[in-house]
Amino acid sequence: MKYNLSTLLATTAIGSCLALSAFAQEVTVVMAPNEVGATSYNPVASSMQPVGTYLIYDRLIAKDENLAYVPQLAESWVEADDGMAWTFTLKPGVTFHNGTPFAAQTVVDWLALYPGTENAYLFDAVERAEVVSELEVRFVMKRPDPNLLYNLSTVFASIPDPAAYAEAGEDYGVFDAVGTGPFRLESFEIGQQTVLVRNDDYAWGPGAATGKPAKIERLTLREIAESSTAFLELKTGGVDMLLNVPTDFVGEVEGASDLSVLQLAGQDLVYMPMNVTQAPFDDIKVREGVAFAINQQEILDAVFGGMGKAADGFLISSLPESKIADEFRISYNPERANKALEDAGWVMGTDGVRTKDGARLSVKLWTQSDSFFRRLSEVVQAQMKAVGVEAELVTFDSAAIRDQYKTGAHQVAVRSYLWDNADILEWFFSATRPFYPNVSMLDDPKAETLKDAAMTGAKNSAEREAAFVAYHEYINSQFPYAPIYEPVQIIGYNAERLVMPEVLHAPRFNTLGFLELDVKE
Amino acid sequence: MSGTVHKTGILATIRRSVAWRALATIKGGVAGGFLLLVVLGAIFAPVLTPYDYDIQALTNAFQPPSLAHPMGTDEFGRDVLTRILYGARTSLSVSVVAISISLVFGMTLGAAAGYFGGRFDRMVMVVVDLTWSFPEILVALMLVAIIGPGVTGTLVAICVAYLAQFTRLTRSQVMALKTETYVEAARGLGASHAFILFRHLLPNCLGPVLVAGMLATGDAIILEATLGFFGLGAQPPTPSWGGMMSSGSGLLFKGPWIILFPGLCIALTVVAINLFGDVLLAKLDIRDRLRVV
Repeated sequence: MKYNLSTLLATTAIGSCLALSAFAQEVTVVMAPNEVGATSYNPVASSMQPVGTYLIYDRLIAKDENLAYVPQLAESWVEADDGMAWTFTLKPGVTFHNGTPFAAQTVVDWLALYPGTENAYLFDAVERAEVVSELEVRFVMKRPDPNLLYNLSTVFASIPDPAAYAEAGEDYGVFDAVGTGPFRLESFEIGQQTVLVRNDDYAWGPGAATGKPAKIERLTLREIAESSTAFLELKTGGVDMLLNVPTDFVGEVEGASDLSVLQLAGQDLVYMPMNVTQAPFDDIKVREGVAFAINQQEILDAVFGGMGKAADGFLISSLPESKIADEFRISYNPERANKALEDAGWVMGTDGVRTKDGARLSVKLWTQSDSFFRRLSEVVQAQMKAVGVEAELVTFDSAAIRDQYKTGAHQVAVRSYLWDNADILEWFFSATRPFYPNVSMLDDPKAETLKDAAMTGAKNSAEREAAFVAYHEYINSQFPYAPIYEPVQIIGYNAERLVMPEVLHAPRFNTLGFLELDVKE
Repeated sequence: MSGTVHKTGILATIRRSVAWRALATIKGGVAGGFLLLVVLGAIFAPVLTPYDYDIQALTNAFQPPSLAHPMGTDEFGRDVLTRILYGARTSLSVSVVAISISLVFGMTLGAAAGYFGGRFDRMVMVVVDLTWSFPEILVALMLVAIIGPGVTGTLVAICVAYLAQFTRLTRSQVMALKTETYVEAARGLGASHAFILFRHLLPNCLGPVLVAGMLATGDAIILEATLGFFGLGAQPPTPSWGGMMSSGSGLLFKGPWIILFPGLCIALTVVAINLFGDVLLAKLDIRDRLRVV
């Protein structure tokens, strides 16, 4: 009996240690609210990819913290003098999660997956890819594309195993996703969570990566749209990290003894698209009036505690293409707002709402259901009211609002995007993408000409930058949107449990961040 | 003299009324007094507070309760007490109006079904049972999804969600009463169906149905608050208690008073309605008749 009891105790102790050790290797993270609702891990065909895509897949190129291009699956690359060819030398010994080797032919097959998809524009300038040797692949170009390296570094240029992709068909990325990344997909519940397990064979990585597998064994990425719920989860130990801490909670996180904050430069921009095909926004003067009614500085100070920047254009301020002439910047100017609305024939009524021919200047302001957007939209609503525009809030579920835009019924909305390249202008304002992503429904011949010049006409980076500045300025002159706010990335984590990388050599916390992330013993 | 007699008559009538007798009890008095306070607060909101419910003062946001702002200010610098008073208008009026409409339709439908019986009764009951087989919140969410968020959507949603309850209750009351001797007598004297229904049957089942309506108003306030919490009720800047709780829920740590006070108002109002309803039930002695449903 004594022997049995000792055995039982020893077994329990060993079991507990093993369980504790396994638990110690697990990390649970809450994704940013704007990534909630992704329906697949298909980087080729889907226009919305969450952070997990960075971890399941690799890309040929990555970016460091200074936005300089660094190797990921491509060891090096050479551009032909005339820009009409790029040769990439691939890292040796790379394999997919299913054991398939990654080689030059893989890149050729992968590129062939894009035509006809939403992300085909990324490689529009590429005529074809050809195998030079087992680890060398050449992109033969239709025209020079100064943006090719950027495109190759985006999450949408993540490389799945082409054979697995073809086999799964339309279901690819929902039940199965095969990449070469530091984590393998174990399970994906849409709108709930994604569970990833470490790829023990991972010996390659972007830029400053050590060439070793991730330190954590298992990573759960939870989708929680409501920031207060996510914060409570962090505070009570239900999760270890929030990839986006609302500015309201920063003080709370900093004040908690076991929590810490990591702040990175932002890549998001919050803006207010106006549907130029819907009255009253089919009148440029009304758009101008509403655009200049938004008090960005007040929003920054009062709503976001001064964290981030007041936006005055459509691009994040770290991009050179955001440096447009002052006359094209859109920032709060109530006199100009009122004058533009007066010029449009809308006269201020006694109840503070403008009228024209007996009709009130009343619009529907679409927003998302999470607290960030709801709160911001209420401020915007009040700021519009201050110049005599009555806005009725219409709230949609964050995951469903994109489908709502596709109906074209929207007038004005508050939304955001996350992108660090000027080509986002084409994404949101191109006449070829009406309803969504071109929520503004802009279809302007001059804008299209400038877009073509910026997207496909430049031979080098300087030309591309100048062309995008011109495109950006022209779009602003048409007021299809109002800029609002440029947030910073604020990551909150349990400092008693997690060891964060000392220096993050990446613009965002994704591949490199999770490779280096460790759990305290 | 006759005037005095008349006044005395009214006072006597009031004193004899069930509501007055309910108010005369401690439980009923406290509950009724609180409800009266809420209703008066909602009616006289513009004179009770110097602030506007919708004017933002962002530099004044998150002020804790003080003399100037007894319930603090919200994330937009608006006085929480002011928004609670104006919010009571939305929450109470939507709930009361929706339940009243639901009562009228439910009683008419239930009385007709119970009185006529047969195929019409079965048809009504199938529809009623169908809506009753779902929780009220599901029915309400479905309807708001169809109609769209806002006061109208909430009103219709609450109205339909409780229709089944009143229809079934009235039907069961009418079915029990229609075999009574006085109904038989009226029928024998050649009274029309409408006369029997509206003169004899409905007045006799009014008590239980009205009390059920009152109790349902408490539930309706919660339902309205729930829809408001989901962002489907009154849209900003129109205040509603549920909507206020919704925006305060994200700010629990920074401004707990933003969610605390509207939450308290909902809880106390619903408790008061239920308490008062409970006293009415006791005074009318109709608890058993309500169970017939």
